[in-house]
Amino acid sequence: MSDHDHGHHHPREASEVELRARALEALLVEKGLVSTDAIDAVVELYENDVGPQNGARVVARAWVDPAYRERLLEHGTEAIAELGFGGTEGENMVVVANEPRVHNMVTCTLCSCYPWPVLGLPPTWYKSPPYRARAVAEPRAVLTEFGLELPDHVEVRVWDSSAEIRYLVLPMRPAGTDGWSEEQLAEIVTRDCMIGTAVPVAT
Amino acid sequence: MDGVHDMGGMHGFGAVVEPGSEQPYHERWEPRVFALHLLVSTERLGAGPGGRPTREEMDPAEYLEASYYERWIWSAERRLERAGTIVPGEVEAMMERLRSGADAPRQDDERLARRTLTALRDVEQLDPATSARFGAGDRVRVRRMRPPGHTRCPRYARGVAGTIERVHGLDALPDLAVYGRETAAEPVYSVAFRSADLWGAGDEPPFTVLLDLWESYLEPA
Repeated sequence: MSDHDHGHHHPREASEVELRARALEALLVEKGLVSTDAIDAVVELYENDVGPQNGARVVARAWVDPAYRERLLEHGTEAIAELGFGGTEGENMVVVANEPRVHNMVTCTLCSCYPWPVLGLPPTWYKSPPYRARAVAEPRAVLTEFGLELPDHVEVRVWDSSAEIRYLVLPMRPAGTDGWSEEQLAEIVTRDCMIGTAVPVAT
Repeated sequence: MDGVHDMGGMHGFGAVVEPGSEQPYHERWEPRVFALHLLVSTERLGAGPGGRPTREEMDPAEYLEASYYERWIWSAERRLERAGTIVPGEVEAMMERLRSGADAPRQDDERLARRTLTALRDVEQLDPATSARFGAGDRVRVRRMRPPGHTRCPRYARGVAGTIERVHGLDALPDLAVYGRETAAEPVYSVAFRSADLWGAGDEPPFTVLLDLWESYLEPA
C-alpha cells in the first residue's frame, strides 16, 4: 500500500478526482511541458474525426467490393489505410469475418486494447471488469445482455487481444440491403457490430 | 504479474451492460487525462515501464475501486515522478491552489499540438516472422509460470494446450522489453483454445478463444 501517501482518500469524491486531473494538467502546462491546445487537439480528434464511422466505411466497402474484402482479410492494416485510416493502436490490424456458422467477438482481458483508428476510444463496458472477465468464459451469456442470441450451431470465436495486434470484426451484410449505396450500408454498421457484440440489421 | 488486472474468467463483477456503459467517458476531464497521458509518452516526460505496466502496479483494491481514467491519472503521476518531472506533493499543492480559486494556467503551442497529432499517425508494423518455431496447425501448450513483472500471458491459459491459428510477426517480449531490458524480437502467434480445455464443460455450447502469445510462452504439446 505504498502509494496511499499520494493523496487518495476513500471513498474518492468525483469532484476530487476531477480536481486532481485538472491539477495534473495545470502543473505540466505551468512547467511548459505540455500545452493546452495539444490536449484540446487530441480530445477533438477522437470526438470528431476518429470513431466507429471510420470502421463502418471499411465494412461497407468490403460488402460492395469483393476484391477489397479479400485485401482486408489478408492485409488488414494496408487495406484500412486505403481509406485513409491508421495510426496508434491500429498498426497491426487483423480483420476477422463473420460467416453463417462463425461469430467473432473481441476483448482484452488484461487491459483495454482496442483499434483506435477505426473505432475511436472504447466504450466503458469494454474496459470494465465484467466484460474483461466474462467474454472469454461465457461469451453467449454476455451476448445475451446485448440482445444477441445466436443459434447453437454457430461457433463463437473470442479474440483476446493480448499482444500488439488489434482486431476488427467484419459482420455479415444483412438481408434486405440489396442495391443500397455504400453510404447507406455504412450507416447500419454500429460500433458494437465491429466489436462483435451486435450484428447489423437493415432498418 | 499475476495481478487483479488479469481478469479473464473471474466471477463476481456483475453485468456488462449498465446504464451509461455505452459511452467512452462520462466527464470532461476523462478525455483530457487520456490526452495528457499520451503527451507524457510522446514528449518523453515519464520514466519506468509504460502506462499499462505501471497501472498493473496499483494496489489491487485501489485498482478495482478506481474508475478507468483514474487509473490513468495514477500511472501518469508515477511515470512523471520516476522521471523527476514532478515531485511527490506537487499535484496536491496545485489542487490546493485550484481549490482556493486560482485560475488554471493556459498555454498554447501550435507546434506541439501538430507534433502530437503527427505522432498519432505513426505506423510501425511488426516485422514478418521468417523463422518461426511453430506453424499453423501445430499443437502447443502454454508454459506454467508466475512472472513477477509485466506479462501478456494471462493466467487462464497457462498449462492449457491449443492450436496455432496464425503466425503474426516478430515482437520483443514485453516481459523484458517494458523494463528496457535487451531481448530479441520473437514470433507472436494466435493460439486457438477449445472452451472445454480452458474451463471444463460449461453451460454454453463449445466455443473457441484465440489468444495472442509470444513464442517464449509456448512449448510443443
